[in-house]
Amino acid sequence: MRIGKVMSQISVRIPLVLWAIIVIYPLIWMFLGSFKSNAEIFASPWTLPETFELDNFISAWSDYNIGSSFMNSIFVTTLGTILCLVFGIPTSYAIERLRFKGSEVLFNTYLAAMMIPSVLGWIPLFFLLAHFNMLDNLWALSLVYAVSHIPFTIFIITSFMENVPKELEEAAAIDGMSPYGILFKIVTPMVKSGIITASILNAVAFWNEYFMALILLQSESKNTLGVAMDLLNQNAQYNSAWGALFAGLSIAVIPIIIIFAIFQRYIAKGMTEGAVKG
Amino acid sequence: MVQSKRQKYLFLAFCLLPTFLVFVIFTVYPMFNGLYLSFFDWSGTSAVKEFIGLENYRQLFRDPVIPNAIWHDYFLVLTKVIGIMILALFFAVALTQLRIKEAPFYRIVFFFPNIMSVVIIGILWQFIYNPDIGIINAGLEIMGLENWTKPWLGSLEWALPSLVLPSIWAGIGLFMLLLMGGIMNVPKNLYESAEIDGANEWQQFWKVTVPLIWPQIKTSIIYIVITSLNGSFVLVQVMTRGGPSNVTEVMGSYLYEKAFADYQFGYGAAIGVLILVVSLITVILLQFILKREKVEY
Repeated sequence: MRIGKVMSQISVRIPLVLWAIIVIYPLIWMFLGSFKSNAEIFASPWTLPETFELDNFISAWSDYNIGSSFMNSIFVTTLGTILCLVFGIPTSYAIERLRFKGSEVLFNTYLAAMMIPSVLGWIPLFFLLAHFNMLDNLWALSLVYAVSHIPFTIFIITSFMENVPKELEEAAAIDGMSPYGILFKIVTPMVKSGIITASILNAVAFWNEYFMALILLQSESKNTLGVAMDLLNQNAQYNSAWGALFAGLSIAVIPIIIIFAIFQRYIAKGMTEGAVKG
Repeated sequence: MVQSKRQKYLFLAFCLLPTFLVFVIFTVYPMFNGLYLSFFDWSGTSAVKEFIGLENYRQLFRDPVIPNAIWHDYFLVLTKVIGIMILALFFAVALTQLRIKEAPFYRIVFFFPNIMSVVIIGILWQFIYNPDIGIINAGLEIMGLENWTKPWLGSLEWALPSLVLPSIWAGIGLFMLLLMGGIMNVPKNLYESAEIDGANEWQQFWKVTVPLIWPQIKTSIIYIVITSLNGSFVLVQVMTRGGPSNVTEVMGSYLYEKAFADYQFGYGAAIGVLILVVSLITVILLQFILKREKVEY
């Protein structure tokens, strides 16, 4: 019996360990590769780099525009995330707390938008921005990102507002606080963890976004990381700058690893909830 | 609380209108405009948009790439659903039912690729499949399987199946967590009584776990299908650009190619409508197929 237990424990662990290796090994390989010279990369994928020099990182950062696109990505991610809250919090409050005609319909409209494929909208979006001279504009891209995540933000924040006790608002209203004050000074601080959950997931999505940036940005100096990495990848097929490409990949992944290490729980919770409704 | 009606409506408008306005401009309008554009022949630059009725849709039916692209989309959806569900279910059961000390480690590791950018995943896997420097061929060589090495993404036969593993790699963690949430809500005494009735672990899995977490299974399958039909083209775009000779072309990558490379925006919009229709039909059918009586014990 005991031997059977041990055997089954081991046999269950084999696939778990295997999959862990399949996930982790490529990432380690990528980090190690970013320190290797081309000759080393071609010699063998299994060896450690001979020296840990930062040449590849420097070359990726300055020669291949990863530096400027890193900054651009930080810009659109930050602005997009903030705009999402600006648009999302008041609407969430109105839907969840101020009963008005059609609040249910409005909420469901936003929810439905989470499920409908956005691909069809991209062609008109391109011409819409072109019409207003907003192509190749990081402010406009941030706005487009923010709007694309308004439904998700509303979905998460309303679910947190449900749990804010009504008495707090009533007491504040009796004290003569305006509805604006109640919203921003009482309710908003109470849904802090909802705001964090929504913001982290929005930020990760904006940081990782590629396709809209590909369509809506045009000049190399405006590229975000996804587009720049794609370009670097295409170049590497011809000039074999594999080391720089590995380094670029590492630069793009490191912030995500840091965010994940800090906010792992929020991310897991927010994403599973999003999937259940979506 | 004294508050005039006017002030109340003003506050309501303050909360709702700006958000709704940008939502209409950047989400709702583009969808309908996309539908509208699909009835036109338009190169984007010329001032003249020529109304051609259903001509784009007729072309859609004649285009030999379209049925292949739809088939490729479904191939990816199907293999993803099967691969992810089998592995995610296995991992979810293993990490919740069996006492594994290092379970949190696996949970965190398996979930991580879910928040990586598809571009990064695509490029990384392009490397992994690279015939000269990739770890797959190198690994096969070490195991003495030189004849199995191939230029994965450059091969007509293997390019499409090669896209499956990265998608599973990237997606599994989320669904594992979803299923784990379901399994942890299954009352422990159900397993105890099943055990008393002589059900072995396999029977317990099929008779207790699966029926009780069916809602989570259903949600996962539908979510995989939706995200895959609407998103798998990003991986295609990064890894193969639809090639070699269209064997990995999916509807989304074809739309991008037609609209933004060939400047056939009307036709591109028609492909967009096709994607919308195909995904809606698929999801509705799935809701129907996966419907089960709610089980409670």
